[in-house]
Amino acid sequence: MDISNLISRLYRYWEGRRRLLLTVVILFLVAGALGFLTLRMQENIAAMLPDSGPVAETFYLLEKAPFARKVVISIEGKEDTPQAVLVDGVERLTAALDPALFPVVINGPDGDSQQTLLPWLVSLLPSLTTEEDLRFLREELHGEEVSRRLAESYRQLLGPEGWALKGIIRQDPLGLHRLLLRKLRSFNLVPEARFVAGHLLSKDGQSALIIAETPVAITDSAGAERLLAAFVDARSVLPETLTATLVSGHRYTAANARTIRGDLWLVLGCSILALAAIFVFFLRRPPAIYVFLVPLSVVCLAAAVVGAVYREVSAVTIGFGAVLLGISVDYGLHVYFALNSGAESPAALVGKVARPVLFGALTTISAFAVLLFSDLPGQRQLALFAVTGITAAVLLALVVLPHLLPRGEKTASSVRRKTGGGARFPVLALWVGLLVLAGWQVPKVTVDGELAGMGMIPSELAADEGRLRRTWGDVRGRAVIWSLGADADGALAAGHRLYQRLAMAVEEQDLVGLAPLLPPLAVQENNQRRWRRFWAGEDGDRILSALDRQAEALGFAPQAFAPFIERTRGPSPLATPEAFRARGLREVVDALLVSLPDGRFGALTLIPETKAYLAAAHQVLTDFPESRLVSQGYFRTAMGAAIQNDFVRFIGFAGVVVVILVTILFRRPAKVCASLIPVATGLLVMLGVMGFCAWPLNLFNVIAAILVIGLGVDYGIFMVCRQGGEIAQATEQAVLVSGLTTLAGFGALVVARHPALHSIGVTVLLGIGSAIPAALYVIPALYRKRAP
Amino acid sequence: MIRRLLSVLLLLALTLRPGPDAWASSLDEVLAELRRLASTVQTLSSEFHQEKYLALFKDMLPAEGRFHYRRPDSLRWELTSPITTGFVIQGKRGRRWGDDSGREESFDIARQPLMGIVAGQLLAWTQADFERLRRDFEIFLENRTPVVLRLVPKKGMGDGFLERLLVFFAPDGRHVLRIEVHEQGGDFTRITFHDTRINEPLGDHLF
Repeated sequence: MDISNLISRLYRYWEGRRRLLLTVVILFLVAGALGFLTLRMQENIAAMLPDSGPVAETFYLLEKAPFARKVVISIEGKEDTPQAVLVDGVERLTAALDPALFPVVINGPDGDSQQTLLPWLVSLLPSLTTEEDLRFLREELHGEEVSRRLAESYRQLLGPEGWALKGIIRQDPLGLHRLLLRKLRSFNLVPEARFVAGHLLSKDGQSALIIAETPVAITDSAGAERLLAAFVDARSVLPETLTATLVSGHRYTAANARTIRGDLWLVLGCSILALAAIFVFFLRRPPAIYVFLVPLSVVCLAAAVVGAVYREVSAVTIGFGAVLLGISVDYGLHVYFALNSGAESPAALVGKVARPVLFGALTTISAFAVLLFSDLPGQRQLALFAVTGITAAVLLALVVLPHLLPRGEKTASSVRRKTGGGARFPVLALWVGLLVLAGWQVPKVTVDGELAGMGMIPSELAADEGRLRRTWGDVRGRAVIWSLGADADGALAAGHRLYQRLAMAVEEQDLVGLAPLLPPLAVQENNQRRWRRFWAGEDGDRILSALDRQAEALGFAPQAFAPFIERTRGPSPLATPEAFRARGLREVVDALLVSLPDGRFGALTLIPETKAYLAAAHQVLTDFPESRLVSQGYFRTAMGAAIQNDFVRFIGFAGVVVVILVTILFRRPAKVCASLIPVATGLLVMLGVMGFCAWPLNLFNVIAAILVIGLGVDYGIFMVCRQGGEIAQATEQAVLVSGLTTLAGFGALVVARHPALHSIGVTVLLGIGSAIPAALYVIPALYRKRAP
Repeated sequence: MIRRLLSVLLLLALTLRPGPDAWASSLDEVLAELRRLASTVQTLSSEFHQEKYLALFKDMLPAEGRFHYRRPDSLRWELTSPITTGFVIQGKRGRRWGDDSGREESFDIARQPLMGIVAGQLLAWTQADFERLRRDFEIFLENRTPVVLRLVPKKGMGDGFLERLLVFFAPDGRHVLRIEVHEQGGDFTRITFHDTRINEPLGDHLF
């Protein structure tokens, strides 16, 4: 049966049963609303990330990197601020932070552990001294050097600092612990920090650092606002000479939420004004308001269907999807203008317009359906939402709406002046010129995979991040190499092997990791055996004899260095994660040795995120299949590649599906090509302008581009049908009003300050803004067959 | 009768014994006076004799040295015998010398925590900055004329090493005459200052 006849018959069937029809529809919509209320919304950006594959794993590991989920507070004094005032400020602020929002606050190692750390490290000398260290000692500790080192210890004992160093000198008269202090550098997560008076101070002593943990998820905008408010409250305890700055992902979240809230009113205001203007200029009659109710009616229904399929539904998806369904107003508009256009019966008018409306909807549904195969759960949900919503909307528009709209008497005039032979060529010349210019710029389009780039980064926050980096080094932006193991020692072993290889390839002082001070137990036991052999051997004997002679000369007691001599012979403790935690280094150990939910452990090695270091790391990692490199840059590249891949895949697939559908509809190549003119023009102009203005393509542009395809093809189908005389002349007006409503809804996003919303606005404005004139002017110029 | 007499004596003893507040008040007054006197000191130079009694050595280690201070934050501490070693602090920067090469090494106090503590303590004593010292030590008044203070380190301030400090002030209260640093385990150091000169011009070359 022909689709036009079916819709005409449906109209006639329900004509006498309008009450029943409306009751059934209302029941459906109420059921949808009830389903919507049971939805479990997930306010999480995770839905916009792949849920499988390497990018998903990279994001997961990136989130576990040190400082990724921490709150960093930098307290700064003026040049003449005494250190005591700064330290006092740190203590005051630490005490003032709300423990419910900042349950763990670290402002430096605790005093007890600081005093016991060095003697304990000295006790680990046998376990941590490597073969290379012993080679160094063998060459370095000749007779003169032994005398010099002991004389230095003697001098220190005579000086005012002697009381603090006496215990260490007894255990280590030759200052071998300097080997370990060098290794301790690899524990330094904050490159420019120094431990002073039990606090983390900057090199210039004018800034102090507080690192806090919080239960507030970084994606929780309301929680982020509470957290920031609590910080501002706590900050008031500081004297005027001190300023405190908080940097964490929460500030981005709060800034984005604030911006989106602000944008919402602005965009809504612009949209409503534009829609009101469209209504006044083109529709005028009150029943036309039903046309605008179509998309509103299907939002809950579509959301309920998504909720029935997915356990958790992304709030971003539903929010964006609801806006997206605004496009379904087009179907109602075509029905409205069709009914308003001629003297035929409503059943005949609805039947005539049904074919292009259904095919238009089908192309849009098909374009969105390709997103069902996306790696991004958010895009899959959006696809289902759009497919369901548009299907429901088109059914409402064709089956229910005609019973609510009045039938018009007038024949609508063309919205454009007749494109006679004289106007045809300038139109085509202009169009071809535009396509050439746009096509020339398309290759310049770049892809931005950075999530931060899609969010709002206030200049104040960027400045604070910059200041934090200058004062404390790149605390939050280093690349991380994960070495995985079945247990903690296994991970440490993998991390140790990797660290050794990396240390040969790059500057070791730039590496951060546990390997130098926390090698696996087998390595430590081997070190101990080697250490004892060294001191029992010829070299050790030579050094100890020189020590004896010099000690005698300086007046040391015979048993002065008994603890050291004992350590060269007897057993010594092993370094373990627990022991480091007990000595005040819990934060470092927990940051660099992470247990994963699957029971495995990861030992982290941090490297500067520079081209040279990343290249060296990639080279080394070819021999370490169990290790993974993750970094913001790598993630950005991977996301960029995924977006590019998605764009090509989805646009290509959507394009093929659309061509097939249009071919089925029109069959003749000329008509098929003509119907594709708006979409081709829209995409080319959109990409061309983006390339010219150096606006990168991001995740949201991909979705918006699919919208351009779906709608652009609709315009083409309607105009080709109109040119072929299959539907009323008023179609032109319907296409124009449809396009204008889309621009009013989506194009209005261009005024938004939020980059993601703005980028959608730009894409739609460019794509639809060029597809409409292409449909209204180029198709009639190229495809001139008219109805008799 | 005897019981009544004992009760009266006990009552008298309780009444006449100065309570904690009285002692505290007395200490505060003494510290305030020392602070006032120290505030008149612009420069201070002194020779000193140091005796170290350490179990690490067979015998007591004697040493001679010099100390110079200039308000607000310059000080020089040096040993002249049996070895030459010392340091100068000016604000947040310092330099020290000591090895046989005679080279001087500059340092930043923020990066040398131990030197920061030493310099901070020396400055606090010279300036009689008891507010700061009380953050690190419990202070007790051992004798009022001349003033002798006993300091017991609080948690975190050398409490693993230091047992107590005894500080003997000059009769006029303007400077320290002797310091005894008693460490846990019985080691101790005694530093006796002599030839102390107050508010005499000190050349820049010293700092």
